[in-house]
Amino acid sequence: MIFDSSVVTAIFGQFAPLAPMIVLIIGALILPAVFFSTKRREAVTAVSMAVIAVSLLFNILMMVDGYQGEYAGLFSYDAFAGIMILLFQVVIFLAALVSVSSSETTRMHYGAYNSLLLAASVGMMFVATASDLITIFLGVELASIMSYVLVAMKRSDPRAAEAAVKYVIIGGLSTALTLYGLSMLYGVAGTTNIADIAASLSTQEFSWAFGIAMITMIAGYGFKVAAVPFHMWAPDVYEGAATPVSMFLGTGSKKVGFVALFKVFLVIFVAANATASFATEEIQYVFAVIAAITMTVGNVVAISQNNIKRMLAYSSIAQAGYILIVMAVMTEYALASGMFHMFTHVFMKGGAFLVVGALITVGIGEKISDYRGLAKRAPLIALAMAVFLFALAGIPPLAGFTSKVFLFSSAIYDNGVMTQWIWLAFIAILNSAISLYYYMRVVKAMFIDRGETSERIKIPRTFAAAVAICFVFVCVLGVFPQLIMDFCADAASVLFG
Amino acid sequence: MFFEFPFEIPYLLTLLLVVPLTGAVVTLAMGGKRQKYAKYSAGVFSGITMLLSLVLLFTPDLSVYNESYPWIDTAGLRMSYILTVDGLSILMVFLTGLLVFLSTVFSAREKDRPNCFFALMLAMEVGLMGVYTSADYFLFYIMWEVTLIPMYFMISWFGGPRRHYAAIKFFIYTHVASLVMLIGIFALVFGAAGGGIADFSFEAVLAGSVAFGSTFQMLVFGLLFFGFAVKMPIVPFHTWLPDAHVEAPTAGSVLLAGVMLKMGSYGIIRVCLEVLPEGAQYWQPIMIFIGVLAMIYGAYACIAQKDLKKMVAFSSISHMGMVMISMACLSSTGIEFAIFQMFAHGLISAVLFMVCGMAGHSIGTREIPLLGGIAGKMPVFAAFMMFGFMASLGLPGLVGFWAEFGIIFSFYDYSVSADMIWLIAFCLISLLLTAGYYLWAMQRTLFGRLTDRIDLSHIHDVSRPEAIALGAICALIALYGLWPDLALGFVDGYASSLAASLGVI
Repeated sequence: MIFDSSVVTAIFGQFAPLAPMIVLIIGALILPAVFFSTKRREAVTAVSMAVIAVSLLFNILMMVDGYQGEYAGLFSYDAFAGIMILLFQVVIFLAALVSVSSSETTRMHYGAYNSLLLAASVGMMFVATASDLITIFLGVELASIMSYVLVAMKRSDPRAAEAAVKYVIIGGLSTALTLYGLSMLYGVAGTTNIADIAASLSTQEFSWAFGIAMITMIAGYGFKVAAVPFHMWAPDVYEGAATPVSMFLGTGSKKVGFVALFKVFLVIFVAANATASFATEEIQYVFAVIAAITMTVGNVVAISQNNIKRMLAYSSIAQAGYILIVMAVMTEYALASGMFHMFTHVFMKGGAFLVVGALITVGIGEKISDYRGLAKRAPLIALAMAVFLFALAGIPPLAGFTSKVFLFSSAIYDNGVMTQWIWLAFIAILNSAISLYYYMRVVKAMFIDRGETSERIKIPRTFAAAVAICFVFVCVLGVFPQLIMDFCADAASVLFG
Repeated sequence: MFFEFPFEIPYLLTLLLVVPLTGAVVTLAMGGKRQKYAKYSAGVFSGITMLLSLVLLFTPDLSVYNESYPWIDTAGLRMSYILTVDGLSILMVFLTGLLVFLSTVFSAREKDRPNCFFALMLAMEVGLMGVYTSADYFLFYIMWEVTLIPMYFMISWFGGPRRHYAAIKFFIYTHVASLVMLIGIFALVFGAAGGGIADFSFEAVLAGSVAFGSTFQMLVFGLLFFGFAVKMPIVPFHTWLPDAHVEAPTAGSVLLAGVMLKMGSYGIIRVCLEVLPEGAQYWQPIMIFIGVLAMIYGAYACIAQKDLKKMVAFSSISHMGMVMISMACLSSTGIEFAIFQMFAHGLISAVLFMVCGMAGHSIGTREIPLLGGIAGKMPVFAAFMMFGFMASLGLPGLVGFWAEFGIIFSFYDYSVSADMIWLIAFCLISLLLTAGYYLWAMQRTLFGRLTDRIDLSHIHDVSRPEAIALGAICALIALYGLWPDLALGFVDGYASSLAASLGVI
């Protein structure tokens, strides 16, 4: 075959493991120039789409080919990195595609906006490829700092300023905690390479320094994934930011925290588990409790929300709770299902945010009551929104149902043995039942309540295309999960050695 | 068999899903100016589906239609696309095909967004057919939930004044119940896997079920039973049903009572009894208690109802209670007549709800106290109503008689063997109440002095499509009443083999 990963290695040489990121970095650097020289938003979008497409192409070539490689002991590209990079590429693609016609980005410096989006996604991909604590930290910071600016860029809205300030302060706190934890971990293990840390720890006894490192890192990354009790910032930020940015944060940026958690915790504990002198089970319980509380709080608080962006934010918190099941169960199968759920979440939640953004652009508000009678005004968009919400609630045969079945069953069963986490699966299933209620409120408003007008709405074409992409994937992944699940299973087996 | 279908239709069971699905899409597309063609499209697609299901009735060896394809196989889970039909499901499949087609005919004059209306019915048919034919728990659960959403929209778009409340109540009750059922299914599948790959197919779970311990069987039976029984419904969790029925449009009620409630009893027999025989033994007294409660309470509540349709809804609860006690006997006749009663009640309740729908539609009210002497004004309507009521109260010669006769027979057997002969009294009380409320309702609505409490100037008798639909079902009620073996013949073998496996313990 002509098109395989040898194309990538031929072009990038020793930097091949970083190929998808390098393309995006180049794009991020030239985009402001494109905007200066053309002053056209369409041109900027065209260039960034092209850049993302090239990056996507490289990544898919490398993934399908099973390419593996590492750079300077800091980055390594493997099946895990590949699938996570793909996830971030999907997110960035959707966000960049819709931003051009969103009414919320009109007053921004559009070149800088796109440049920041690309740079943030590069940070995320760094985390996915990192094999060292330093690169994980750098990647998370790159993504976070770009995100602060992206939130603050919506200058027309005072809520955005409030959101940005909150985000910066909480983000700073989270960074400090994480860094503190990382330094303790370095102190214990004497190295920053993750694999070496695992090897070094497997010969050691449990120490308090290690315990403190774990707790501060859970807190630090807990802020990133918006786990309860570190979730307070998320609703404000998602509400205040421009909707394409909310979508980017809710589906992409949040996953960075998970990728970091997977990389650090799973590798360390699975390697250290052999010695059994480590507090693996205690840490698992910590995560299990956080997961249970996170999903419950997210779902219960979402019921009382009237602003749809805040509702989606709380639903994101609940979904983070589901994904945290992976950290409690800590099995290969759980990881694969968790990654698959992250994928389906991109399309379900991303799709829902995109619909919200599209409707804001055509002048419909953010209140759930503003959605009354939408099915008459924009039947296809209303149908798509209903499908996304039903998928989030776990109604079969949509993607959210299938990924929840995988994820929850991983808490029940592992390789023929019932796990001790059945109670967690119970709580998760009960939570799914609760969540249906607030999703149904939106569906009811759209399809059943009568609106004030029945004037037809014309959705901008880029939004329609992005929503259509999400719609197709939500339906297809529900029925044919193995399109992605097989890659997730490979990725999980890489991380578990 | 006196007639055998001469050749084999390839992929027949898949067609039972694909034809209505295609029909739903095609019908939905007939909006705007093409609205008047929606009913023809729906009629054609549901008609084809009915004919396909009819083919099954004339196939001596049903196993030729089994389909099995691998679907999802990943990380220790295996789901397959398996469709089968056997003695338990064949009558339900036929009933689904029949009732969807006839309620399409019945609703042919639907004026309000007919394309959406008929598309929802066809979408529901996909789910119903799927529930009754799938032989894989994953597929089964998907199909189970697929029936939910069209019904929700059916009630909340085309329903009565309190439709929003009824629709959301229906949705939440049944969805929560199905999540409990999902937990039970997980337990079954993972319990049966016993260290190997967790295979969701009925066959694999049944094979692995020999390893289930008593406590496991007891607990899991409880979970699954709850999930299924709320759909049936059982008494403390039945309140969604009268609301849903009262608000639903006629065709929705027909499908809800005729085939959707049967999903619950079908699930109990298919999953609980087949896979968890020991759990069934443990839960037997509780099932009897719940069944008796539903039977008596449903009948008792009927007497108090002022709304004709609500009365019929409560009578459904009572009749499903009979299904419950019958299968709870865990004997061959008990199971056989439980299935037969499911079929009989499907036919009869269709007539009853169609009659109620016409009362609301043609007369303008379903309130019993406002009616009176209608028989003189609407003779055909009155005839159908009397026929339906008589069939439901178990008039000999009609299908309901055989069902109730068999149920009481097997329940008597059970109460003698359990040394609780007094239990049979409940059956008699229920029969008495049933006859009472039907006759009383008939007397107040059809006979006596013509009412002057409502405006009767523009009432009209049964229209032609309505007469065709009702006539067809009534003919079947009579046919199966005179010749019950036509239906019992399918069930016989299944019931005795299930009863044998239940007795093995």
